[in-house]
Amino acid sequence: MYLVLQDLVKRFPSRGGVGEVTAVDGISLDIKQGDLVTLLGPSGCGKTTTLRMIAGFEFPTVGQILLDGKAINDLPPHRRDMSMVFQSYAIFPHLNVFENIAYGLNVQKKSREEIRNRVAAVMELVELTGYENRQPNQLSGGQQQRVALARALVMEPKVLLMDEPLSNLDAKLREQMRTEIRRIQKRLGITSVYVTHDQVEAMTLSDQVVVMNQGKIEQVGTPTVVYRRPATRFVADFIGRANFVTGMVRDQGNGSMAIEALGATVQVPASREEIPTGAIVTLVVRPEMVEVDSERPHAVATVHRAAYLGNVVEYDLLVGDHLLTVAEHDPRHETIHDEGATVPIRLIEDCIYVLPNE
Amino acid sequence: MAVQLPGFERRVEPRPGLRTSLVRRYREFALIARDPVLLISLLYCGLFLFVFVVFPLFRGTANGFLDSTQSGPWFTRLSFKYIARYFDAYYGPYSRQVFTSTLVMGLLTATGGTILGFIFAYTMVRCNAPGSRFIHLLALVPTVSPPFALALSTILLFGRNGLVTAKLLGMEFGPGKNDIYGMDGLVMVQIITFFSVAYLIVRAMLERLDPSMEEAAHSLGAGKLHIFRTVTLPLLVPGIAGSFLLLFVESLADLGNPLFISGNVTVLSAQIFLAVAGEYDYQKASALAFVLLIPTLVVFLVQRYYVTRRSYVSVTGKPTGGHITVREPWIRWPFITITYLTCLLVVVLYAAIFYGSFASAWGVDYTPTLHWWRLMAARGVESVLDTTFLSAFATPLAALTGMIIAFLVVRRKFSGKDALDFVSNLGGAVPGTILGIGFVLAFSTVPTFVVGLLFVLLAIFLARLALPNNGRMQAIVVAVAGGTGIGLAQLAPYLGQSGPFYLVGGAYLLLAVAGWLRRRAGVRSGGAPPWRTRLLAAMGGYVLMGGLIEFIAQPMARISRSIPPGFWANFLFQFSDYLKTFFQTPLPLVAIIFAFLSLLVLDRETGRSRLAITGTLVALIAVMCFAGKPLALIGTPYIILAAFAVRSLPASVRAGVAALQQIDPSIEEASGMLGGDAQYTFRKVTLPLILPALLAGLIFSFTRHMTSLSAIIFLISARWRIVTASILSEWEQGGVSIAAAYSSVIIVLVLIAIGVLYYLTRRVFKGRGDVDLTLGA
Repeated sequence: MYLVLQDLVKRFPSRGGVGEVTAVDGISLDIKQGDLVTLLGPSGCGKTTTLRMIAGFEFPTVGQILLDGKAINDLPPHRRDMSMVFQSYAIFPHLNVFENIAYGLNVQKKSREEIRNRVAAVMELVELTGYENRQPNQLSGGQQQRVALARALVMEPKVLLMDEPLSNLDAKLREQMRTEIRRIQKRLGITSVYVTHDQVEAMTLSDQVVVMNQGKIEQVGTPTVVYRRPATRFVADFIGRANFVTGMVRDQGNGSMAIEALGATVQVPASREEIPTGAIVTLVVRPEMVEVDSERPHAVATVHRAAYLGNVVEYDLLVGDHLLTVAEHDPRHETIHDEGATVPIRLIEDCIYVLPNE
Repeated sequence: MAVQLPGFERRVEPRPGLRTSLVRRYREFALIARDPVLLISLLYCGLFLFVFVVFPLFRGTANGFLDSTQSGPWFTRLSFKYIARYFDAYYGPYSRQVFTSTLVMGLLTATGGTILGFIFAYTMVRCNAPGSRFIHLLALVPTVSPPFALALSTILLFGRNGLVTAKLLGMEFGPGKNDIYGMDGLVMVQIITFFSVAYLIVRAMLERLDPSMEEAAHSLGAGKLHIFRTVTLPLLVPGIAGSFLLLFVESLADLGNPLFISGNVTVLSAQIFLAVAGEYDYQKASALAFVLLIPTLVVFLVQRYYVTRRSYVSVTGKPTGGHITVREPWIRWPFITITYLTCLLVVVLYAAIFYGSFASAWGVDYTPTLHWWRLMAARGVESVLDTTFLSAFATPLAALTGMIIAFLVVRRKFSGKDALDFVSNLGGAVPGTILGIGFVLAFSTVPTFVVGLLFVLLAIFLARLALPNNGRMQAIVVAVAGGTGIGLAQLAPYLGQSGPFYLVGGAYLLLAVAGWLRRRAGVRSGGAPPWRTRLLAAMGGYVLMGGLIEFIAQPMARISRSIPPGFWANFLFQFSDYLKTFFQTPLPLVAIIFAFLSLLVLDRETGRSRLAITGTLVALIAVMCFAGKPLALIGTPYIILAAFAVRSLPASVRAGVAALQQIDPSIEEASGMLGGDAQYTFRKVTLPLILPALLAGLIFSFTRHMTSLSAIIFLISARWRIVTASILSEWEQGGVSIAAAYSSVIIVLVLIAIGVLYYLTRRVFKGRGDVDLTLGA
């Protein structure tokens, strides 16, 4: 494992001066070389603090960070052979684009020739060729972002750190840039740690997603795993949208379980953990996992709200005491039900995931 | 379907025990200690502030409780004599009267000044007055002129024999008639002198007021007056309150104006001055200083902690609110009129000063003449040269220290950061007379405690960083080397007056030579690479020059006496003094720098030689701290330099803080990630970005130095004279026109300096940095 975090804990004295706040509470992570790992979570979950500890701007209260087998806790940021792209880009306002990108190479006192070549190469990579002499205040947001990226990449670092680099861009640019970043990262094969609270970004970019909450890791996995088999209710709720349906285990065996829910029995894949028969469980039912107007319905629902969004039709369906949000993807949409109508629905069983009741 | 609410109330754990928090504080310092440059900066600032602010303030006020007529240790001499005077039957009424007058003066000035400042600010920001550039400049002139310039011109114009009152209006002043002297004249002069502080603060707040708040109130149906009352004014309260308190403090600290124009009214600052200059009673002066300190300190604390914390308007943001204009003429014109009238008054007052210097005999004969200027050139050149030289010499010192403190306060976290910030502001906020007395009491004789503390801290610093991980060795080195050094220090005076310089300078040069010889002999541990030998040689050379400069200065002085008396003779004589000042810096202060340089010298030495060299260097630091009469600075120019630096420090710190706060910290972190260590980042990134503010800090410091009075009035001597004090003595002897000439010179020099600042920031930096003039206030 290339970049290893071992039981990292970070405590800060709290604002009022009384007591302490634990921002990061025992994080352990193994990152493979060449992977892009995203730290994902709501504000205040500790992801930026973790990133800053990796970078060296914060000193872990407890725990170790190992890079390629060597402990780097005691190394100051400028000796860690890592690069960082900041949320505010942090472009040097008094240097032009070329000088900004060349900064790190100048610190290392490389030759003029080498600097010119390397900067030109990386500027071509981020498609900024021709902008060498521009001042930062003459650049658009997207261009500044690319300068920040180029400046980090030209150093050929062992690890690339990115702290919400896209949050200051508008939606269209954000989409564009995130595919760019992924393309470049894959091409250069740089191990990267990416911090964001936007789960769409996380899902698009990552090899591994680390979902964090209140200083702890809730789950580590590929986007698919994290979406289809969330480890906790928090993860299920944070990634995408989820309906939580209460049920009881009637029977289990052979890798599947029979759960009684919504007044019917559904056959779903077995849960990750051991759950005794008869226990109450929570089913994670994503909006696309409910079939509307089914011929073999599990239950009959009343339409509480209907909205036609173009690519989907969304319903809020009342079944018993559950309110399910359902998204129907069908380009033709023959019928759009009105409020108050009753519809037969069926759960698409092999997509549903079982969580023990917390 | 809701997203989990972010957990803002994390489990706040109970307060860790004393031991854990001590350990954590130690670790914080250990982190700072990884960076010796940072540590020495912290040490330097801390020591500077302790030696030149805290210690003198303490001595200055505590002395009020010690009976100076007796001798013996302090606890046998406690006396509350002067404090008791406030309550006894004989002295009581007068003492209480002085105290009351002081407070009344402060309140009246603060109220009047804030109102006038508000009117100015409102006019400038919202009333679209024609000629606003000029109004702004005029409003700022009082902040850069000598403290009593306006008192002087008020008397010239409105005094008993004033141009306006006597000549134009034909008024006569006999006993019982109300003339300009007294509380009314004093308050009027103070208001005109200080209102610009309020103006700048309120203006800054008005400009940054978000117009959408008033627009929202409009859309809810509120009329203009209602909005002003319920929205604008409440939002401005922190600025107004801040101005009020600041003006109160400035008024209390003012010495020049009361001495000129307060007439029969006595206020505390004048009383303190008279206790020293008239009665030579330092205990009384200190007791009074203590009494003056209390309201000053209370108001200062309230202003910092209560008012600034409650500010709702972002002070670091760019001005956004300048687009509301008032159109109603019944609001506009009164404001504009008052503003114009005040400007007119300011112009007239300053014109009076300039013209006064040219009048043959003010009050009698107004024909212009150069007589007084020629007289001043003959008599007063020394004053002017001394003041300019000392102001200029102190300026880089103050600006640099201010920048270091600003950097530490903004960019680093450590225990005691708030204390550092507070004390650095304290130096400029307390009335100068208190500081002046403190300096005299603290530095007339050797302050052994301070010198001892200085040595101990520097020795520990050097030992710990030079011999890390070896506690026992560190202690041994400090003890042995320290002892040797102290012993040697006692021998130094036998080498003559410049003994310490020769001893220390010679020792460093010897070390340099030894290093050079080792390198030539190709010793395994490398000997010293060339730059280290050169560094040692430079250190030794500088100190040695302290002694050798006499051989240049004395002949110079002799030559100056042999050429015909006049401007050049004076100049040459003074210049010889300036040369000496440059090289004869008090050794304990040089020791601070040398302690850090010693670390550089030790770089890459190992084993025995490292130990030996460390020991020698510690011993040399001891000699520097204890030889001769360390830090007995009264009578030297250095005490004046220190006073200047302490008084202008807050302005430099504020300029530095404002500049650093505008730099996104991630820019410096980005430089760190790209491989630049703290020094590289500072040189290549931070410094270029704060250069405009640094420059502004330099100019404001210079201004403050040139116009100081209360802090340095007790520190001048026969050899070192300050213009402001000269003005005072000329005035007392009736030399009105000479006083006016001196004042004009200072005003012109200061205006030139400010002009240079404007030019440089506009043309050279092309507005890369926004220089905020409130910082000069």
